[in-house]
Amino acid sequence: MMLKLKFAIIALLIVSTQNVMAQSKTIKGMVTDPSGVPLPGASINVEGSKNSASTDFDGNYSLQGVNATDKITYSYVGLTSQTITVGNQTVINIKLAESTQTLNEVVVAYGTQKRTKVTGAVSVVNAKDIVAVPITNAESALQGRAAGVTVVNGAPGSNPTVTIRGLATMGNSAPLYVIDGVLTSNLSGLSPNDIESISVLKDASTTALYGSKAFNGVIMVTTKKGKKGPGQLTFSSYVGAQTVTKRYDVLNTQQYLQYAKDLGSDLTARAAEFGNVSTDWQDQIFQTGFMQDYNLSFSNGTENSTSRYSAEYLKQEGTIINTGFERYSFRANNTQDIGKLRLGSNIGVSFTKTNPERSAGGRTLLEHAIKMAPYFPIYNAENLGGYQGPSAVDSNDAENPVRVANLGYQKINGLSIIGNIYAELEIFKGLKFRSQVSLDYYTTKNHTFVPSFYDGTAHKQAFSTTNETNAQGQTIVFDNSLTYKTTFADKHNFEVLGVITKIDGKSQNLAAGSQYAISDEIDQLRYNNGSLGSSNFVEKNIGYVARINYDYDDKYILAVSGRRDASSRFGANNRWGNFYSVAVGWNIAKESFMADSIFSTLKLRASTGTTGNDRIDNYQYSATLIADYNYPIGGGNAPGVSAGVASNPDLKWESKNDRNIGVDFGLFDEKFTGSFEYFNNKSSDILFAVPLAASVGSAGGGTQIQNIADVKVNGYELSLSYNDRKGDFTWSATANFGTSKNEVTALAPGVTSVLGGPSARAGLENFSRLEVGQPLFYFYGYQTNGIYQNQAEVDAVFGPGQTIIKPGDIKIVDRNGDKAITSEDKTNIGNPYPDFTYGLNITAAYKKFDFNCFITGVQGNDIYNANIFDLQGMNRLFNVGTEVLGRAVVGTNGAVSNPSATIPRAKGADINWSSANQRYIEDGSYTRLKNVTLGYTLSGDAFKSYFSNIRFYVSGQNLITLTKYSGLDPEIARADTNANSAGIDLGRYPQPKSVIFGLDVTF
Amino acid sequence: MMKKIVYIVTIVFGIFTINSCDTSDLELNNPNTLRPETFFTTEAQVKSAVNAAYANLQTRGLYGRNLSFAMDLMSQDTSPNPQLEGNKKPFHDFSFNAGNDIIQYYWESCFLGISRANFVLDNEEKINALPDRILTQEKKNKFLGEAHFLRAYYYFLLVNRFGDLPIYKKQTIISAARSPKADVYTLIKEDLQFASQNLLSKDVEEKGRATKEAAYAYLGKVLLYEKKYDEALVALNKVTGFSLEDKGNFFNNFTEENEHGKESIFEIGFDEKNGVGDKWGDAGNSGGTGFEESTLRGQEYGNLSWYNVYPADELLNSYETGDLRFGDTFYVPGSKYLNGTETMKASDFTTSEGLRNSGWKKYQNYYRKLDEAVQSSINFKVMRYADVLLMKAECENQRTGGSQTAAIAYIKEVRDRAGLLTVINATKDDVFKAIIHERKVEFAGEQSRFDDIIRWGIASTELQATGFTVGKNELWPIPNRETSSNPLIKPSDNNPGF
Repeated sequence: MMLKLKFAIIALLIVSTQNVMAQSKTIKGMVTDPSGVPLPGASINVEGSKNSASTDFDGNYSLQGVNATDKITYSYVGLTSQTITVGNQTVINIKLAESTQTLNEVVVAYGTQKRTKVTGAVSVVNAKDIVAVPITNAESALQGRAAGVTVVNGAPGSNPTVTIRGLATMGNSAPLYVIDGVLTSNLSGLSPNDIESISVLKDASTTALYGSKAFNGVIMVTTKKGKKGPGQLTFSSYVGAQTVTKRYDVLNTQQYLQYAKDLGSDLTARAAEFGNVSTDWQDQIFQTGFMQDYNLSFSNGTENSTSRYSAEYLKQEGTIINTGFERYSFRANNTQDIGKLRLGSNIGVSFTKTNPERSAGGRTLLEHAIKMAPYFPIYNAENLGGYQGPSAVDSNDAENPVRVANLGYQKINGLSIIGNIYAELEIFKGLKFRSQVSLDYYTTKNHTFVPSFYDGTAHKQAFSTTNETNAQGQTIVFDNSLTYKTTFADKHNFEVLGVITKIDGKSQNLAAGSQYAISDEIDQLRYNNGSLGSSNFVEKNIGYVARINYDYDDKYILAVSGRRDASSRFGANNRWGNFYSVAVGWNIAKESFMADSIFSTLKLRASTGTTGNDRIDNYQYSATLIADYNYPIGGGNAPGVSAGVASNPDLKWESKNDRNIGVDFGLFDEKFTGSFEYFNNKSSDILFAVPLAASVGSAGGGTQIQNIADVKVNGYELSLSYNDRKGDFTWSATANFGTSKNEVTALAPGVTSVLGGPSARAGLENFSRLEVGQPLFYFYGYQTNGIYQNQAEVDAVFGPGQTIIKPGDIKIVDRNGDKAITSEDKTNIGNPYPDFTYGLNITAAYKKFDFNCFITGVQGNDIYNANIFDLQGMNRLFNVGTEVLGRAVVGTNGAVSNPSATIPRAKGADINWSSANQRYIEDGSYTRLKNVTLGYTLSGDAFKSYFSNIRFYVSGQNLITLTKYSGLDPEIARADTNANSAGIDLGRYPQPKSVIFGLDVTF
Repeated sequence: MMKKIVYIVTIVFGIFTINSCDTSDLELNNPNTLRPETFFTTEAQVKSAVNAAYANLQTRGLYGRNLSFAMDLMSQDTSPNPQLEGNKKPFHDFSFNAGNDIIQYYWESCFLGISRANFVLDNEEKINALPDRILTQEKKNKFLGEAHFLRAYYYFLLVNRFGDLPIYKKQTIISAARSPKADVYTLIKEDLQFASQNLLSKDVEEKGRATKEAAYAYLGKVLLYEKKYDEALVALNKVTGFSLEDKGNFFNNFTEENEHGKESIFEIGFDEKNGVGDKWGDAGNSGGTGFEESTLRGQEYGNLSWYNVYPADELLNSYETGDLRFGDTFYVPGSKYLNGTETMKASDFTTSEGLRNSGWKKYQNYYRKLDEAVQSSINFKVMRYADVLLMKAECENQRTGGSQTAAIAYIKEVRDRAGLLTVINATKDDVFKAIIHERKVEFAGEQSRFDDIIRWGIASTELQATGFTVGKNELWPIPNRETSSNPLIKPSDNNPGF
C-alpha cells in the first residue's frame, strides 16, 4: 500500500519537474534540517522569478536556468528560510535553521503582514510548537507559549477557557476565533496537526478590524496548505495513558464510625450490614485513561494548484470513569490559479462524540466521592440497578458516584463544518479583489438516558428518564475586499484595504424529555411525562472595514484602520458602532547609524484603538413576555403568560480602548530575540445585569442589562528567545512572562457592590464581588483568626450571654467591633488573578535526537477551594477529610483541650462553615513541567524504499507540579466562560499526568 | 475560456457585495417570545396572564418546599433531624439572619407573584376595552378579581413575615420604600373586597381558581388578624356551601383523590402529571416558571424517605386520648399504610440519632404508595372549612357582645369530627384556651400555629426556650438581596434585631 502511494507521488514529481523551463546554469545540492536530516519537499525559489524546484525524498534538488546574480531562497515549513546569492557555485547544500519567533509573515486580520511591519501586539505559535506536545485541542498549543494568554482545560471534549490579557468584561470573556478567515467560537473540530500557525491578536490595532466581535482579542488560525512541489504523505500517531494521582485524604470506615459516634450517631450496626467494607470512592471514580491519535495527510502542488488533504482520528478516555472524547476530522484545502484569478477553498469537517462528566443533585462526582460514607459497598445485586447508596439512617446528599457515572449514559454527538470558498483576482498589478463565502455549521445532539434504580431510600428513581437536546446553527459570512499595494519613489510603501462583510447567523434548539415507568429497555423519547420546547435565533451583522498601512523604507510605519459595524442584537437607537485604531512603528535597526550595532532587529511601536463586544443574548433590547408559567386548574394545566425580563431599548456595544507600546529586538544576527509590551486598556459601557430591587418582582433573576460599568486592565509582557548551534548540537530557549491587573472603576449609579458568581455549595452565600476600586469578582468574606480556646475569649469578643458562638468555633474577625458577626465584617479575602504567568520552552537537538522541555506557571493568585466545605464542614454527617481527626475538642472544663487544632469543633456554630471565609482561600501559584519530550529520527538509505524519515518520541505531560495548593489541581477549569467563576474550585476535572509514545513518518 | 471564468466568478461574487449593503434586515423580532404590544386581545390571553400569577405559589421559596419547613419549625410542630440542611435548621432555633436564602426566596416569590398580578391589573383598560363577544363583562371582572385576590394573598404572606412593606400597585422597575403595615392591610382588604364582589362562586368556577368564598374566608382571616372581630364575622359568615369532612374521614383533607373536597375552600395546586421540572435549579426557587408541578414535602417529611423533620414530642403530647386526628396526622409503629396493606415497624422511624416515635402522615403519599419520591402531587388545602369554624369561634369569643356559647358550638363541630367530647367553660378565657389547643392539633403541620402564636401575642410562653427573642423574632429580616438593591430600604432599615 505504502509503496503504491510512493509510486503515485513519484509520478506526480515527474510531472511537476517537467514544467521547469530549460536554461543555462544548473544548481544542485541537498537541503537538511538543523540536525542534518534531509528535508524532502523543501522549496527552492529564485527570487523575483517563477523558477522554482523542490527537494526529493532524499533532500536533493536540482534547479536549472540560474544566473550568477540570482538569489535563491530555500524554505521549509517551520524552519527559517535562507537566501543565498548564487555566484559561481554549482552545488549549494543548505542546513535550514530552527525557526524563531521572527517568522517572516504574520497572519493578521484580513491578510498577512511582514513581521518587520507589524505595529501591534501579536503572538505567534507555529506548527512546530503546536505538534511538539501531543494535545487534543488546538487551544492548548497557546498555553505558556503566547505571553498574556491563559488556557485552562476541562474534561475531555470540553472547550478550554482562553483569556487574552486578563478579564475586561463581566460577561463572556472568550476570544474570537478565526480559522482561515472564518469566524467561529472555538477550535474543537480542528486537528492540531492541521494547523500551520496561530496568531494571537492582543491589542486594538490588530483586532479593531473585527470591530464588535474583537473585544476579548482574536485568535487567528491558519491551516496547513498544499505546497508547490511533489506530493508528500505524512503519518503521525501517538498512544498514551493519562491518570490523576492525587486524592483528598478522607476517613476509612473504621475512622468514620468513630467520627459518627462523636457526632452522636452509632452506625456500627449499619456498617456491619454491609460486611464492614471500606470503599475508597475517589479510587472508584478515577481511572487511567488511554488515548490514541492517528493523523494522515497528503500535500502536493503543481504550477497552478495546491492541495492538502488530511484525516484524523482521536480517542481519549477520561481520567474519570465513563468520560471521554472521540473525534474524526477531515480537511481539504485547495487553490487553483486560472490566469490572474485564484480560486480556493478550505473545508474542515469533524464528527465528535463526548461523554461528559455526569452529575446528580447539582453535585459533581468528586463531591459525591468525598462525602459518600466509606462503609457502603459499590454494588448490591439486590437493589434495582445494582448499586448501593444511602437510606434515611445514613446521610442523604451523597449519591453513589459510580452509579451516577455508569448507570445509563450521556453522549453528545457533534458535527461541525467550517470552511470557505474564495476567489481572488488581480485586476491590475497591485490591486486585488477578493470575495469569500464562509460557513460555520454545527449540529449537536445531547442524549441522556438514566434507567430506573434504587440505591436506598435516599436515591431512587422508579422510571427511566430520557432527555435529548438537539442544536443546530449556521453562520454564513460574505466578505468582499479590495487591496491595493503600491510603492512610490521606491520607498513609500502603501497598502490599502477595504472590506464589506455581512454575517448571517441562525441557530435553533429542540429539547425534549420523558419518563417511562414500564420498562428500561427503551432509551428513546416517549410521550410520557414529557417536556418539550424549541427556540430559534437569528443574528445579523454588517461591517465596513478599512485599513491603510504605510511605511517609509521599512523604517517608519503607520497603520490606520477603522470598522463600522451594525448588529441586530441592538435596538435601532444604538445599532451602529464605530471602531478605529492607529499604530506607529520605527525600525531603528534599519537606520544607517545602527549599521554596525549588535542589533539585527530593534523596533519601537505604539498603538491605540477601540473594539466592541456584542456577546449578549439576542433580542435583549425588545420587551417580551414569558410564556412559561404553569399551574394546575380544573384537572389540567393552565398555561400562563406574563411580563418578561426588564428590557432595555438603549442597549449598545461594550467598548474597549486599548493602548499598547512595544519594543522588538534581535541581537547577534537574531540569535537572541525578544519583545516587551505594555498595555493599558479601559473598557467602558460594560454590559452589567444591574440587580433591580427584589421587591419590584422583575422576572428572570430581577436584573436589567445596562451599559453601566467600567473596568481598566493593564499589564506587561516579555518574551525572550535564544537559539544557538555548536556542531551537531542545536538548542533554543524561549521564555515569556505576562502580567495583567484589572480593576472595576465604575458600576451602576447608586450600586457600590454586587455579590455574584457561583456559591461554594448549593444554598450557601455567594462570595464573588464586584466593587469599585477592586478587581473583578474578588473573593469577599470573613477573615478568620484561629479557634476560640475558651469562654473568656468568646466573651471578650461578643460580651457575655450569647449562646451561638462557643469555644472550639472559628474566630471570625469582628472587623467593626460591634460585638456581632454581621455582613459588615466581610472584606476582601482573596484575588483570583495571578500577579504574573510564565512559560519556558527549551528545545535541543543532537544528531538524530531531539528534546523538548516546557514549563508553565502562574504566581500569586488565590483559589477558593470549595471542597474544603465538604472536607472540613462537619455540620452534617458525611465523609470528611482526615484533617478533622485533629479538630478542636472541648474538654469538660469548657475549654479547648488541643490548642494547636486548626479545625473547629464538630457541629459548631453555623457560621464556621456556612459563610464565605478565609479558610477556603489558598495560594493557587504553581510551576508545572507541562511537557518533556525525547525524540529520535531514523532516516537514510536503509529505509529509503519505505519512508524518507521516521521519528519516534516519548513524551510526558504534567509530570511534576510544584504548588502549595491542597486541592487536586491548581490549574482549575472555570465553570463556564463567564468571568464570575474565576478562581473557584468546585471539584472540577483535574489535569491528568500523561505519558505518550508517538511516531511521525514522512514517506 | 479563462477570461470567461474570470468574468463569471467576478459577477457571482459581486452579487454578494451588493447584497451585503442592505441593512434593513437588521430589524428582528424575537421569534421565541410573545410581545406586550400584541397581547390581551383574546380570552385565552387574559386568562393566561391570570394563570401566571398563580404559578408563583408553587416555587420552592413558598409551597414547593421551604414554606412548610420554615413555618412548622418555627411553630415547633416539627423537630429537625440532625441531618437537616443548614439553611433550614435556623428556623427551629431562630438563629436565621438576613442572608438566609429561604427568607430571600420567600420574599422574591411573593413579590414576583404580586408583579404577575399587577401585570393583569395594569392592563385593566385593555381588558375592559375588549368587546363582549370576546369576553363578557362578568368574566372580565372575575379575571381582574383573581388578580386582586392573588395580590392580596401574596401581600398577606409577606406582611405576616416582614411587617412594613414596599407597596406596588403597578409593575415597575423603580423600587419603593417600606409603607406601614396598616397600609399593607388596607391594600389587602381592598383587593379582597374587590375579589369577593367579582369572583365566581365555587359552584361555577373551575376547580383550583380563587372563588368568591375563598375571598370572603381570607377577608375574614385578615380582619381577624387585625382583631376586627365584627367585620371578620360578617365576612366569614358569607363562606357558605362547605362542610367538614365526615367523622373518620379527616384524612380526606390530605389526599390527592379528595382535592377540592367539601371542606376545601382554597388550595395550592400541584400535579406532577403536568411536569416535574428541575427540582433543584435556581429558577424554581422563586421564579415560578417551568413545569415545577410537584412538591418535595412527601420526600422531605416522610419517615421512610429523607425524614428531615419529625413530629415534635410536645406536639404529640398535646393530643387528647381518643383524638381521631392523631392517627390521621402521624404515623407511629403499627400504623397501616399502602391502602392498609403495610404496617409501620419501629425500625421505620430510624434516624442517625437513633429511633424516633413517629413520623408525619398529613400530606404523605404512604397512604397509597410504598415510598415517597421528590415528586408529590398532593395539593395544600390552605383554607379549610374547619379554619372558618374556628375563626368564627374566635370572633364570637372576642367581639363585643359576642357569645361564648356560639363560639363553643363552632368548636364542638370541629371536635365532634375528631371524636371528642366538648366540655368548655363558657368564659372568654377558657374558650380562648380551647381555641389555642384546637387550632394546634387541628392544623398541626399545616403552617398555621406560628402565625396564631404571634397574632395572639403568646410567643413568650409558647416558644419559651426555643431561641425565640421577643421583640425580634415575630418578624423575619428583610433579606440582603433587597437591602443591597433597593436604595430606599437600607440594611439599617431592617426589622428590630437584624
